[in-house]
Amino acid sequence: MIKFENVSYSYTGNNSEGLEGINLTIGDGECILLCGRSGCGKTTFTRMVNGLIPHFFPGELSGRVLVNGMEISKTPMYQIAGQVGSVFQNPRTQFFNTDTDSEIAFGIENAALPIDELRSRVKQTERDLNIEVLAGRSIFELSGGEKQKIAFASVYAMNPNIYLLDEPSSNLDIDAIEELKDTLRRLKKQGKTILVAEHRLYYLMDVIDRAVYFENGRMEHIYSPDKLMVLPATEREKLGLRATGLSDIELSQAQEKPGNSVLKLKNVSVHYKKNKILKNLNFSAKSGEVIGIIGHNGVGKTSFSRTICGLHKELTGQITMNDVPLNRNALMKQSYLVMQDVNYQLFAESVEKECTIGIKEPDMELARSVLQELELSSFLQHHPNTLSGGQKQRLAVAVSMVSGKEILVFDEPTSGLDYDNMMRVARLINRLALMEKIVFIATHDLEFVCQTCSRVLYLDEEERQYEKRKSN
Amino acid sequence: MSAFSLDPRTKLFLLIASVLSATMAPNLTYELGLVLLIAVFALSCKKTRTALLGTVVYVILYLLTNAVVINAGESVQAVLLAFFGLIHKVYPCGFIGVVIIGTTKISEFLSAMNKLHAPKSFTIPFAIMLRYIPTIREDWHFIKDAMRLRDVSPNIKGLLRRPAMTLECVYVPLMMTASKAADELSIASVTRGIENPMARTCYTEIRFRISDVLAASCFLAYFILGRFL
Repeated sequence: MIKFENVSYSYTGNNSEGLEGINLTIGDGECILLCGRSGCGKTTFTRMVNGLIPHFFPGELSGRVLVNGMEISKTPMYQIAGQVGSVFQNPRTQFFNTDTDSEIAFGIENAALPIDELRSRVKQTERDLNIEVLAGRSIFELSGGEKQKIAFASVYAMNPNIYLLDEPSSNLDIDAIEELKDTLRRLKKQGKTILVAEHRLYYLMDVIDRAVYFENGRMEHIYSPDKLMVLPATEREKLGLRATGLSDIELSQAQEKPGNSVLKLKNVSVHYKKNKILKNLNFSAKSGEVIGIIGHNGVGKTSFSRTICGLHKELTGQITMNDVPLNRNALMKQSYLVMQDVNYQLFAESVEKECTIGIKEPDMELARSVLQELELSSFLQHHPNTLSGGQKQRLAVAVSMVSGKEILVFDEPTSGLDYDNMMRVARLINRLALMEKIVFIATHDLEFVCQTCSRVLYLDEEERQYEKRKSN
Repeated sequence: MSAFSLDPRTKLFLLIASVLSATMAPNLTYELGLVLLIAVFALSCKKTRTALLGTVVYVILYLLTNAVVINAGESVQAVLLAFFGLIHKVYPCGFIGVVIIGTTKISEFLSAMNKLHAPKSFTIPFAIMLRYIPTIREDWHFIKDAMRLRDVSPNIKGLLRRPAMTLECVYVPLMMTASKAADELSIASVTRGIENPMARTCYTEIRFRISDVLAASCFLAYFILGRFL
C-alpha cells in the first residue's frame, strides 16, 4: 500500500514542478495513471515513491509518504529499491552494462543474491517476458524498444511489489507499445501495484483502475477510466490531455499550399554497414507539403532523414531539386534536421549568436525578424541552455530559416510532449508549410501526424514502401 | 573459451606494473618492448584493432624520436625531446588503460572493487564515469551531423581553419548533454540499489585463473628486467 499523508514538496532553486497538499492512498494491485501537463508534478509524485525525493533531489518536504509501511524519507535507497522498481523514459541512459544478461542481473547483483540464484532469476525473467532472443546481446545493437524491454526486465528480476513507469512509451513504436501493454497486464495479474506517468493515454485505458490528474502541483481530479474515455474532446483538450483512443483522433485539414519547387528521389537505395535498408525509393515532394515518415523502430526512418539532409554516405540513385541533381554537399546546404534531442545542435552562448554561427556574412535583420516570428525575440541575450524544450526546438528551426534552408526534417519532434505542446509544434510546422518549405516528420506519434501531415510515407521491412494519402 | 578474460584485480595490477615500468624505463627500446607487450595483451583479449593501432602509432613515434636524436640541431633537440619524453612516459599507460576499459564489464569492476574493500564513495562515481565513456561515442555521431548542417566541418581540416569555433561546436553540446546523462545514469543505478552495503555478487563469475597468473607474471618479469638494464 502506498499512502501520501498531506505531502508537499518543492525542489531547491526551482519553483515549478513541486507538489502541494497531496493525500492519496493506493491499494495493493491497483494500476494508476498519473496524468496532466508537462511540469504538473506527476514525475515528482513518482520520485516520492521510489525515494529519489528526498534522497537524490534535495528540496523542502513536508508530510509523510509510506510505502508498505516504510517511511520513504527515512529508508535508505537500496531498501526502497527492493520494493519499488522504476523504469524511465530515456532508453539510452538506463544502462549500466554493455551486455543484456549482466544488465538484467544488475539489480539482483546489488541485492547480493548468490550466483546460482542470479542465473536462474535471469533465465526466468527472460522466459516470463518473452525476451529470450535478446539474451547475451550487446546493448548497443538494440533498438529503443528492445532497450526498454531490458530495462524493464532488470526491474522485473528484482521482483518488486510496486512498479513505477515514467513516460515509458515516449520512444516506442506502436507494436512495442502493445507489448508494453501486455507486460502491464501480466504484472496486474500477479497482483503488482503499478504507477504510470504518461502523456499518451490511449494504450492504458483498459489497463488502469484510476487516473489521477495533476495541475500546478495539485491533485485536481481522480477519474475512472470510463469517465476519462467519455470526456468530451474539448474538455479533454482544455485539461491538456492527449486522445484516449486512437479512433477519436480527428484529422485536421492541413493547410496545403503547394509551391513551385519539387524535390525528387529517383531509385534511391540506402545502405548501412553493407545492409540495404531502403530499396529503390521513388518519391517526390513539393514545397509547402508536410510529409510524415512512419514505420517500425529500426526500419530506416533515421537513415531516410539523414539521406534527405545529405548526411548519409552510402546511397545510390539520384536526388534532384527542380530537376537539378544534388550531390550530398548541395543537399546539406539546402536542408536541415531538427533532432529529437536538440541539445546536440545548439552551440552558441546566446540565442542571437546561435542564429549566425557558421554563416560568413550573417544578415542580422533576417535573424531578428525570424526570431520575432518564432516568439523568441525576448530571449536574444539568453543562453540557449536556459530555454525550455519547446523554445530550443523553435530556436533550431530559426537557425534553419536564417541559413536559408528549404527542406526541414523533424526527428520525433513530439516525444514526451503533452497536448498543449504538441499543438504548439503542429502550429509551427503548419507555419513552415505556409512559407513553402518542404517538411518531413519522422515520428511514431499518430495523433501528431493527423494534426500536421498532408501525406504519409510508410516504410516497411519487406521492401514494400507505400505512400498513403492521409484519408486512408 | 571465447576470449582471454582476466579478473579486474589482475588488470589493475597490470596497469600499475605498466605505469612503474614506463616511469622507470631505462631506454626507448625498453618502452617499445612494453608497448609490444601491451599489444600482445590486447590481442589476447580480442582487441585486434586497438592492438594494431596502438602499436603502429607508437612505432612511428619511436622512429620519429630516433630521427630527431640523430639529425636535429642541439636547440631543436632540447625542445622536442622534452616533449617526446613526456609522450613516451604517458603513452603505454594510456594504451593499457584503453584496453582495460574496453574489456571490463561495469558489473565485474564493481564486484572486484567490492572484493578489494574499496569504499563505495569511490567506486560508484568511478563506475558511472566508466559507463559514461561509450555514450560520448554515440553523442559524437549526433554532434557531427549537427555540425555539418551548420557548415562547420567536423574534421582536422575544419579544426585548423577555424579552431575556436570547431572546438566550441564539439564541447558545448557535449557539456550540455553530459550533465543530463550523468544524472540519469545515477538515477538508474540508485533506484536499483547500487548503494547496498552488502558485498555484491556478480553474474559473470570473477576469480583468479591460470591466465591471471600468466599475465601478471609476464608484466612483473618485464618490470624486473627493466631494473637490470
